[in-house]
Amino acid sequence: MTARFTRRRDGRIDLTLERAEADLIQGLPEQLLALYEGERTDPARERLFPRAYLDPTEEEAEIQWEALVHPDLLAGRLAALQQLRASLEDAEPARRDRVVVHIAPDDVNAWLSVLNDARLALGSRLGVTEDTDLAQLDPSDPESAGKAAYAWLTYLQGELIETLLGDLPG
Amino acid sequence: MSAPSAPTRVVPAPPAPLEVQEPELDESVGTDRPWLVIVWNDPVNLMSYVVYVLQKLFAYSREKATRLMLEVHHDGKAVVSDGSREKAEADVARLHAHGLWATMEHSA
Repeated sequence: MTARFTRRRDGRIDLTLERAEADLIQGLPEQLLALYEGERTDPARERLFPRAYLDPTEEEAEIQWEALVHPDLLAGRLAALQQLRASLEDAEPARRDRVVVHIAPDDVNAWLSVLNDARLALGSRLGVTEDTDLAQLDPSDPESAGKAAYAWLTYLQGELIETLLGDLPG
Repeated sequence: MSAPSAPTRVVPAPPAPLEVQEPELDESVGTDRPWLVIVWNDPVNLMSYVVYVLQKLFAYSREKATRLMLEVHHDGKAVVSDGSREKAEADVARLHAHGLWATMEHSA
């Protein structure tokens, strides 16, 4: 795992990726788009668009809230996919078959959002619990590729958050 | 929640259905009770990410955001904000936009 975020003086964050890692991220928007526009009862989609009210006597308030909020939440997620796509398109080739993605300050939240949604969706699909051991993957496990992708996205998001936490008051 | 390198062992239980408020109660009695915004533990969101989101959305100090994150992690949930129904609905929406599992309920 070689991906690294580097904060530049102009506020931009550079992300260095191996080709295969860039390909993995490149594939996220299409997969997430299918999820966002897919069946509303899909558990992975429900995880991204949870209820606000658990109290069944507030069902009317829940319906009104969803009608008000869900279109905005969806629009925000679609915009984030576009921002991530645009920064990937502008990625520059680097030595040893790597690419450097320049993440503008305005696009950082989009990256964080896409990485998090991808992990939530993948975690839901894989049935990830806090017991799931991602350090020792069994190659004969048909889900090992998905788990490896999940583990790598977790690593990547963790690195990005460490970079961003430095911007907030300690 | 999980840490990137050291996942913990607590499997979160899904939130239990809340007790239904007695419908016989006089509605006017409860109108001043605030709404509580609750964040539930989940196995995917990173502990550092939850701290980051709570600091960013609510302008909490690192210390307060960390305390709330640990409460979610250890107790399964924490009240992260409160206020009118409108404010709670807006806070839940902002938390959902960031992928946190949040709900709201009327305080007892």
